[in-house]
Amino acid sequence: MNAYTMAHLTVGQTESFTTTVTEEKMAQFYAITGDNSPIHMSEEAAKKRGHAGRVVYGMLGASLFSTLAGVYLPGATCLLHSVEAKFVKPVYIGDVLTVAGTVQEVNETFSTITIKAVITNQNGTKVTRGVIKAGVEK
Amino acid sequence: MNPEQLLQEVQEIFRDNFDDETIVLTRQTNAEDIEDWDSLEQINLLTAIEKKYGLKFNLADVRGLQDVGDLLDLVVRLTA
Repeated sequence: MNAYTMAHLTVGQTESFTTTVTEEKMAQFYAITGDNSPIHMSEEAAKKRGHAGRVVYGMLGASLFSTLAGVYLPGATCLLHSVEAKFVKPVYIGDVLTVAGTVQEVNETFSTITIKAVITNQNGTKVTRGVIKAGVEK
Repeated sequence: MNPEQLLQEVQEIFRDNFDDETIVLTRQTNAEDIEDWDSLEQINLLTAIEKKYGLKFNLADVRGLQDVGDLLDLVVRLTA
């Protein structure tokens, strides 16, 4: 786990990690949230709406921004302030997602950073974009 | 800087930040008057103002701010 303090953060700094979306993660997300919308639960319902299969919860993908900030950038020094996420393309079970963040702003006075985040799938397609704001230990 | 123009520009920053076009600022407006104006939003407002006017606040500058009037006076002082 990283633990960058304010002194070690600069604009343009990047971190990333890769993870695979599994059936189990979908089931766990459902267990936590209770979101049983057919597009996430039923192969048939998802296909009827033109998808290749069950669509992964957008917020499951966005939850990886928590990992990006809390583990990688800045890591253990992070206190998440806000996450703005845009779900650009659908994610499907089995997709291999790369979650990357780049420091866009560093504010020494308020000990905060802004991170531009992007999730791409195994084909290099951008599926989710985000802007993360976080407090950082000095 | 024209005080009325500055107030209008800062009001626009507030409206953008809170996504609320109905916000009307006066010099007396304070955090009690805008429901979502909390410590987190204070940081967002101040950083947006820094960007708009090319300023760099320090903690001493912003610690005692009580209302919009104080904020406007600070911007005027730092841009003079």
